[in-house]
Amino acid sequence: MGLFDLFRRPSAEALAQRAAHEQRVADIQKCLSNGEVPTAIRMRLEGARKGTLPWIATLTPAELMIVRSHGLRPIAAVSATCWLHYGWSWTEGHAQGWDMALRRLREEARAAGANAVLDVKMRTVALGVENSMDFTLLGTAVYVDGLPPSNEPIVATVPALEFVKLLEADVVPTGIAIGAHYEWLNDWRGTARMTWQGNAESQQLSELWEIVRQRAHQQLRAHARAQGNGVLAHLNFSQMFESEQNRQKQYLARHIVVATTVDARRGAALPHDIKIVVDAHAGGTPLTGTTRHHQSYASNEAEGGI
Amino acid sequence: MATAIPAHAAERLKGLRSSAHSTGVFTSDFSVNEFLLVRKAGFEPIGLCVGTCVYHVGIQYGSWSKNQELDVLSKAMYHARELAMSRMRAEATAMQADGIVGVKLTIKRLEWDNQLLEFIAIGTGVVHGDGHKGFRAHDGGPFTSDLSGQDFWSLLHSGYRPVEMVMGSCVYHVAHRGMLAGLGSVGRNVELENFTSAMYEAREIAIERMQFEASQAKAEGVVGVDLHEGSHGWQTHVIEFFAVGTAVVPLDQEIAPEKIEDPIMVLSVND
Repeated sequence: MGLFDLFRRPSAEALAQRAAHEQRVADIQKCLSNGEVPTAIRMRLEGARKGTLPWIATLTPAELMIVRSHGLRPIAAVSATCWLHYGWSWTEGHAQGWDMALRRLREEARAAGANAVLDVKMRTVALGVENSMDFTLLGTAVYVDGLPPSNEPIVATVPALEFVKLLEADVVPTGIAIGAHYEWLNDWRGTARMTWQGNAESQQLSELWEIVRQRAHQQLRAHARAQGNGVLAHLNFSQMFESEQNRQKQYLARHIVVATTVDARRGAALPHDIKIVVDAHAGGTPLTGTTRHHQSYASNEAEGGI
Repeated sequence: MATAIPAHAAERLKGLRSSAHSTGVFTSDFSVNEFLLVRKAGFEPIGLCVGTCVYHVGIQYGSWSKNQELDVLSKAMYHARELAMSRMRAEATAMQADGIVGVKLTIKRLEWDNQLLEFIAIGTGVVHGDGHKGFRAHDGGPFTSDLSGQDFWSLLHSGYRPVEMVMGSCVYHVAHRGMLAGLGSVGRNVELENFTSAMYEAREIAIERMQFEASQAKAEGVVGVDLHEGSHGWQTHVIEFFAVGTAVVPLDQEIAPEKIEDPIMVLSVND
């Protein structure tokens, strides 16, 4: 299309496209608000399940090899999004947003007739829409040979290789747990201002952090309890802000913890011997799992370890 | 236990030239490990295959407060990639390759003009060591795949072979916040359904297009799918949703799951 086409009447093709778009969007919104999978996606998932459409896997060939040797077969790429506006609380919005996305992802997995979703990645589109964020999950729905479709498919936020590694050790990754807490501190006595003091702990701010972090972790534990008996692979995100109103300082501290929940039998050790090898993989090796799996939270631990 | 150096390598170390490679010199962008594993899989590299395309992308604006696919841009991204890929494939056909592994598809914006994009596809053409033609794509031409040499080996050992690198693209304009006016959302966390459905629609279009390409290639599945979002110098709210992966079919003699060797737990001592 050139510049002058802007002034032309839309073609029949363009009009048909527009109508299809409107119908699709209306369907997406209706289905999501009813807690259902949008029609087009449901049909794609069903096609993949029945084998009339090619299956789609985010897995690498090495992962495909290992899941197949363990009786798992990929069905389809599944995804879910919740774009949330924080009118009330940014911090708690993160728990809400991921929770909603998780629920939708499970719904897609169910529609695909899956037993589990592997390789689930937490993603966010960098599109600065004020006071809001998109919470997106992407993964591969799989079924286990010989098992009936599950009503409560497992959601594993670890890559497929690690999923299998955990299964072999009798540990089942089950989902995502989130803990998020924030707290305001009104410094009406001005004790957090320490300009003239020497070496001293800022007790008020320490206490604020202690409370915020403890609450966030309490929440994480409560959220995890419903899904399994432990969590792995923490992702920590925290921020503190200072603002001033009527010459009084205020502080806001927030902490978000996201983790993979697991169901592990206590005391069961890894059954394998360990071999020492030279790894022939190029670049970041999947053996150590150092590749970055999620991109929604850039680590803000800028100062690094102690 | 020391492993003896093979006779051929020893001769070479003594300064004797090799006559082992019948087609003369081969070129590739393989790393050492990649090279070894492609050969382990029974293939020999014969030459780098390159395809490029400089494309002038037309103009299309999304209306400020509307979610919509920008089909002019979607088509441009498709067409230009297709041209680069088919030129690369033509090179491979010319050198009688059975396939191309390790295809890297990159896009560059040319400095002097915002609307000029350069698409480059580079991969290494390979032939089957014993001249087996069963690895060709559905149309008898070379297969294409963005899998590395290591991935290629793993794929064959999981019972599949690559057919075609498939992709789906959807350039989408996400509405601006203007449509929030009158939402009265202060004091509540609410979902922005318009934004959510924009993401759903754009992603679904990209996936469906990729899956359609896979169906056309008569594939059983698509492996190594990467779904990502990118912007190539467009307005701020214009995003390309891009799905790419390698379409695969089972080997003539499919490997039963129980025949796949059990993985061994290892500790990498590289670093």
